[in-house]
This record gives sequence, C-alpha cells and structure tokens, in this order.
Amino acid sequence: MAEALHRKGPAGIVAFLLVAAGVASLWALVKLLPPGLWFDALRGPDPADARQMLAAYSVLPRLVTSILCGAALGLAGVLLQLVLRNPIASPTTLGVEAGANLALSVAMLWAPGLLAFGREWTALAGGLLAVAGVLALSWRKGLAPVSVVLSGLVIGLTCSAVVATLVLFKTHYLAGLFMWGSGSLSQQDWSAAVFLAPRFVAVAALSAFLVRPLTLLSLDDANARNLGLSIGAARLAALILAVALTACVVSTVGIIGFLGLAAPALAHVAGARRVGQRLAWSALLGAALLWLTDQCVQLAAGADGTMLPTGVVTALFGAPLLLWLLPRLHQSQQGAPLSSIGPASRRSAHAGRVLGCLGVLLVIATVFSVMVGRGLDGWHLSLGGELDLLLPLRLPRALAALSAGAMLAGAGCMLQRLTGNPMASPEVLGVSAGAAFGFAVALFTLSEVGRGAQLLAASVGALVALLAILALGRGRGGSSGSTLLVGIALGALFDAVVTALMASGDPRAVLLLNWMTGSTYAIDARGAAVALAAAAGLLVLLPLGARWLDIVPLGAGTSLALGLHPRRSQAVILASSAVLTAIATLIVGPLTFVGLMAPHLARQLGLRRALPEFMGAALAGGLVMVAADWVGRSIAFPWQIPAGLAASMIGCPVLLWLLSRRSS
Amino acid sequence: MLSPAGLDRRTLLAAACCMAARGGVVRASEPSPPARIVSLDYGLTETLLALGIAPIGMVQVGAWADWVVEPALPAGMIDLGADREPNLELLAAIRPDLIVTTPYLAAIRPVLERFAPTRTFSIYAPPGGRPYELSIAATRELAGLLGRAAEGEALIARAEARMAEIRARLRAMADIPLLIVSFLDAHHVRVYGAGSLFDDTLKRCGLANGWRGPCNYWGFATVGIEVLAAVPESRLVYLEPISGDVLTKLAGSPLWNSLAFVRAGRIQRLPAALMFGMLPSAMRFAALLGEHLSATERSSG
Repeated sequence: MAEALHRKGPAGIVAFLLVAAGVASLWALVKLLPPGLWFDALRGPDPADARQMLAAYSVLPRLVTSILCGAALGLAGVLLQLVLRNPIASPTTLGVEAGANLALSVAMLWAPGLLAFGREWTALAGGLLAVAGVLALSWRKGLAPVSVVLSGLVIGLTCSAVVATLVLFKTHYLAGLFMWGSGSLSQQDWSAAVFLAPRFVAVAALSAFLVRPLTLLSLDDANARNLGLSIGAARLAALILAVALTACVVSTVGIIGFLGLAAPALAHVAGARRVGQRLAWSALLGAALLWLTDQCVQLAAGADGTMLPTGVVTALFGAPLLLWLLPRLHQSQQGAPLSSIGPASRRSAHAGRVLGCLGVLLVIATVFSVMVGRGLDGWHLSLGGELDLLLPLRLPRALAALSAGAMLAGAGCMLQRLTGNPMASPEVLGVSAGAAFGFAVALFTLSEVGRGAQLLAASVGALVALLAILALGRGRGGSSGSTLLVGIALGALFDAVVTALMASGDPRAVLLLNWMTGSTYAIDARGAAVALAAAAGLLVLLPLGARWLDIVPLGAGTSLALGLHPRRSQAVILASSAVLTAIATLIVGPLTFVGLMAPHLARQLGLRRALPEFMGAALAGGLVMVAADWVGRSIAFPWQIPAGLAASMIGCPVLLWLLSRRSS
Repeated sequence: MLSPAGLDRRTLLAAACCMAARGGVVRASEPSPPARIVSLDYGLTETLLALGIAPIGMVQVGAWADWVVEPALPAGMIDLGADREPNLELLAAIRPDLIVTTPYLAAIRPVLERFAPTRTFSIYAPPGGRPYELSIAATRELAGLLGRAAEGEALIARAEARMAEIRARLRAMADIPLLIVSFLDAHHVRVYGAGSLFDDTLKRCGLANGWRGPCNYWGFATVGIEVLAAVPESRLVYLEPISGDVLTKLAGSPLWNSLAFVRAGRIQRLPAALMFGMLPSAMRFAALLGEHLSATERSSG
C-alpha cells in the first residue's frame, strides 16, 4: 500500500481525502437543512429556525475550523521536523501544549478573572512561556536540535506533571479542562475560525520565505554555514512560526493529538521531498485529514449521541497510521541524525567514589523517609513503639519506590545507549503504555476490580505491547529508531484513550489517572518484597551484559568485528529493558521521568562507561524515587502527591540545572 | 417488601416503633454499634448525618461546602485527604471501628480492612440506574448496622414526603420537560438523564426530564450545547458551581441566544446539589426545584 501511496503522490491522497470529507459534509448538511435554505442560512439565518442557526453557527464554523486547524498543525509539524532534523518532532516536543495547558489550569483555579480576557490568550501566554524557556536553555548551544528537543521535553514533562497534580487535587473544578485538553472542535459561532484564518495565512506566507534557509538547514551545520546561512537566525525564525501556529490552535480548540506528526509523515511517504513541497503538502494533508476525521466523528456521534472529542480521535487514527507508515519513513528518512551521547571517559577514575556516595545517600534517604513524617500534630520524628506502628505503612512504599526507580533507570539507560537518542525512556518504548492499557480495560469492563485483577490485567497488557514491539521491530530489521517510534505511537494511542475517558467525565477515569501518575499508596509488604527482589536481580545480572552495552552503540560493523551479533544483542537489550519497565510499571504506575532522568544524572556525574553509568543510574533513580515518595507523602498532608509526579517535579528542575551548567 | 408508595402513615409508625423496640432489645444483648465511623464518600456522609451520626473522619472535607452545601459539616471532622487515597497514617492514628465506602474504592478495600471492618454501599456502579432505590436500600442497611433502624425509616419517609410535597407544589409544571445540566465551559454541558439521582428525583416529583439520550452509569452525558436544540420545548436548569466566564461568553453567542428556551427566558440557575449523593441530596434537589421553579412560575404567570 505504501507503494500505491507513493505512486499516487501527495496530490492524489489529498484529492481522495477531500472528496470523502466533502461528501460527508454535504450529506450531513442535507440531513440538517433542505438545500433551498442554504443561501438564507449563509446570508442571514432566521433566529427562529433552529436548523438554519445550527447550520450557520455550528456546522459551517466547525467545518472551517477543522480545515484551518489541520492545515496549521500540518505546517507546524513539518517546520519542527525540518528545523530539528527529527522525524518524530511535533508541537508536543517543544512543550507548547503542556505550557498552554498549565497556564489555563492555573488561571481557572486561582485567577478566574484572567479568563474574562479569553481563554485563548491565557493559553497562548503559557505556550509562549514554555517555548521561551526551551529557547533560553538551548540558546548557548546555538539552538542545536538535540538541545532543543531535550529542553522541550523536560519543560513539557514538568508542566504536565504540575497540571496532573492540579487535576488530582481539584478534580471537580477542572471538568472543563478535560474537555479543552481533548480537542473538541464543537463550535457555536465563528470566533475560532475568524481568530485562526488571518494568523494561518500570515504564517504560511512567512514560511514561504524560509524555503531556502530550511533547505540549507537540512544539510549539516558546517555546510549550511559555508553557504552563508545564519543558522541560529533561521532556526529561530522557523521555530517561532511553528510555535505561533501551534499556540493558536491549542488556545482555540485544545490539543489535536498526532496530526502534527502524521501529516508531515504522510506527505513524506507520498513522495514530497523538497522543502517547499513538504511544507505545502503537509499543510494540505493536515487540513484534509482533520476535516475528514471531524466529519466521521460527527457521523458517529449522531449514531449513539455520545460525544468524542475530535482531538482524541485523530490520535486513535493517527497512531496506527504512523505504525503503518514507519517502514517507509525509516528507509527514506532524510537529514543528519541527532548527535549521540558522547562516550567520553575522562572522569571514569572517580566512578567508584561516585557510586559509593550515591549508595550512602540512598540508605540515608530511606531511613529518613521512614522516620520522619507528619501526623495530626504536625511534623514528627518517630522512634520506638510509634515507629513500629508506622513502619508497615512507610517502609513498603519507600522500598517499592526505590526498586521501581532503579529498574526504570536501568531500562532508560539501556534504551539511551542502544539508540544513541537522549529522548529514549522506558515510556517511549510503549511497554508502560501497554500495562496501563490493560489496567484501563479491566477498570472499565469489570464492575469491581481488586488488586489481583489489576496486576493480572496490567501484566497481560505489558506482555502484549512487548510482543508487538518485538514483532514490529523484527519486521523492519530491528532498527532501534523505528522501535522507538512504535513505542511513541503506542504511548500516544493510550494517551488518547485516557484523555477520551477523562473528557467523558466518567469518575473511574480519576482512578486511572491516579494510578498512571505513579502512586505508591496501596503497596503492601509483599509487593515491596517482590519489587526489591526484581531490582536486586537486575543489579546482579547486569555486569554480564555490560560489554554489549559498551559495544552496541558503536554500530553494527564494529559489533560484528568484535564478535557480537548486532541483531541478537539488540533484541536481548530491548527485551530486558521491556521486562524491567513492565515490572516497575506494575508496581508504581507508568512513570516516565525517572527512566529519562536518571541516566542523564549518572552521565552528568561523570559516569560514562556502560557498567558504572548503569549502576549510577539505578542508584540515582532509586534515590529520586525514595525522595519523591517522601515528598509526595508529606508535603500536602493529609493529601498525597503520587510519587511519579513528585519525582518529575524534583527531577526535572535538577535536570534543567544540569543541562544549563553543561552548556556554560 | 412494601413499596414506599403503598406505605401509609399508620403502618409506617407501627413499623418504626417495632424496629425501634427490636433495636433496643438487640442493643441490650449485643456489643454496642460502632461509634467511631470513617466515611469515604459524600453520599454516605450526608446519610450518616441525617441519621444523627457524625463521622469522625471524611475525605475532601474542604470541598463539601461547594458541592453538598447542606447539611453543614460538624466542626472537628478530621480530613483524610483525597477521596481516592484516604491517608492511611491518619486512619491508623484515629482508630475507627467502622469504615464505610463505595465500589469506587474496591481496589484498596483490602488495605482499608487492615484498619477497621469496612462496609461497601453500592449506589453508582455498573450497570447503573435506580440510584434513589439503591439509596433507600443502602440507608436501611446503614441504619440497621448502626442500630438506628428507626431513624433510617424516618429518613426514607421524610424523603418520600418531600417528593410528594414538591409534586403537589409543581403540578402546573408537570408537562414542561426539564434539562438539568452542569456547564463544563461555554461550549459543553453535562446533562443528567436516566440513571442519575436527579432523574429519579424528577420522576418522584412528577416532573419530566427533557434528556432522553444515552448516559453513563453515573447517569449523565457530556454534550455540546448545540445538541440541546433538539428539545426546544424544555426549560433549562443549570447547577452551581459555574466558572465565571461561562455566562459572559454565552451571552455573546448567537447560537445560544437562538435556542428556544433561551429566547423564551426559560432558564433557571440552581444552587449546588450533589449529583452523586443519596437521599439527603435528592431531598435538597427537590426542595431547590420547588423553591426556584415555583418562583419563576409566579413571576411569569
């Protein structure tokens, strides 16, 4: 089918999508209003005729808004992919959506007066602030792709974590936010279309001027500079255009999942190669895709009356589409790869001392966590009989958090070594998404879900995801880049399902969110013992594979020369990181941040060779999680912040500080 | 079992006396009923308060005033934090002798059992429907458990009497369908339909629910505002709390202003009543309807 797509070219695909969307729209309009009245409805609808009012103020503005949003996101996505030289870049990569979301939540809770100026402006301000943070952090690196992506990811994660905490604490008050975040295109007037149209036209016109600089940017930095290009200025211009587009869309209709990734990918597969072509066809494909999707959503909603936000559906369609596109995308992928993690080893002499310090810190943190806490009378140091009472409540969760942190850190370390991509983390692999998916299915199909059933369902989900990843990975030669993409697609798919559940207002969605945010609340001694045993097993077995982790990143040729079968060793590394992720996810939910953070922390501490890096990451991951569990337990007492969220709120600032220190 | 409608005052009194007497005998021979009760659900808390029992601890104490409003919480109730994760260290410290909860917390029930005997009362759980009837059954069970059977029957009777009173007062409005909604933002509402406590209450008050569409097992559907145009003859009743910018935005929306009930001014704002509550919430909702709808009736008529 990919061949057929390629033969048709982007024009054929766009034409097909447009015809389908047009037919669906006409049919819907005919059902609503006799064609004889269409012009009346357009010119000046009769307020007494509900059909005319609906056509003029709901159906048509919705249609126009879907086209504009689709085009804007398609264009924003391709701009980001070009400027970051990363086929998996998307508006999410810069933290625009998360920043806008955070600003909106904060305004809703504490400054409702701000909303009187319009939710759009609040969201826009939040999105721009997030991006400003990203640019500031990567400025001294000349806005290098790897630095921008990493900063964007970290800031995005931090914003999302804060929003998730607010949602958990103020569930009732944020019902409107779920709706906003899920990208409903439902309209009751022309304001969104009027807001978007001039802005899209302006950005599209400006990006036409960027075709040549972007073409040069797709070469490597040195060549581009030799051809007389100010790299920083060109990147900045393209970034600002993409961000402005995304912020406009996000602030008017919310997050439309996956479109910014799917439209450029589809354009690329269909044969758009030159920069100008990619810009134009991505925008057109985005528009056609969203128009058609939105029509389908409305047809389906007519059938059973329940509302599904369009932004969620694009992700549901978009993720499988991306999976199907991957083989093509990978073979024909253009542009310089992200620079990998440097294998410097100048400070490895200190490895023993660094690891020792981390170990001592970990023990101190655990003891502190068990003995210090809050009660009815405030802060309290518990000893003796009181400690006996509290120990069964505090120790299991601290140990489980420690073990899960160590396992996730280990998995993240393996993935980052394997792919050479600092964005890799266990959640990116999609195994935690699979586990969470199993849990969600159990929650929504069984009337009462005990812990045993939860564990079973999550295990099955993780296993299925793992097998899918391995099968899909083998299908395209097991290349690590495409495995990451499969994981991202699975993760986005699950995210869409959860967002839809949250938007539906079903109270069980809160249980799901609670588990996903990494709560160590209900862990008992047995659960903790199992976790500890698994983590210990990891640390004992790891030295056996350390040599592979040193060699595999050097490439297939080097591996073969050193007597290592690259495919087999990759599969083993992939499988073990998947298993580690699955176990950790089952214990404390699909935490993402520790797996991403801990390997970076270890490298920042000067641990560069595989084994010390791995041990350091595991210890650091455990340390972060123990601290997170304690902070989450104590800081908002008697309320509790899930350890996963607390971890990201502790760890992300630390990571940001390390990133900025490295660049000075 | 007697249906509530077939219960006249004499049999009710007889039954209440009989149960009170039996309760007295039981109390003399068995250990006293649990006194230190922790409630992990607003609906159960309001029922306990209506039975004359103040739980020593509850979840989300702070938000009660926004969502349940009455009865006011007695002072000194210990806040156990989030409704999904009641604080276990506090639970251990206050040593309850009974925890009452809902299927919503089924996953942590084994954890709760470590601190006190735990009883689950199911009002909103799949497959859903009939929350009023389930509330009656749960009220009886809870009252019996606490040796307050008479108070339980009295509460059920009070609720029935309230429904009958409002039915009589709003007889003139019986054929105007009501749309009961909560605004999520200026584009979307939650509309309460079959299976919600509000729908059950409307039925018992002899009023018609304008929303006939499908609902989840909590008895509501999330829809865009334009969908409400499908029932033009309705009166729209929206509940507090409502976000500050929603009404301003709606006032400027041509589609909203063209909706039949908006043009005819058939809109009513109602103070908050708990949509996921039990009998006391049904009674409050009915009373609010009686008060505000009969007021609009007078002013328009």
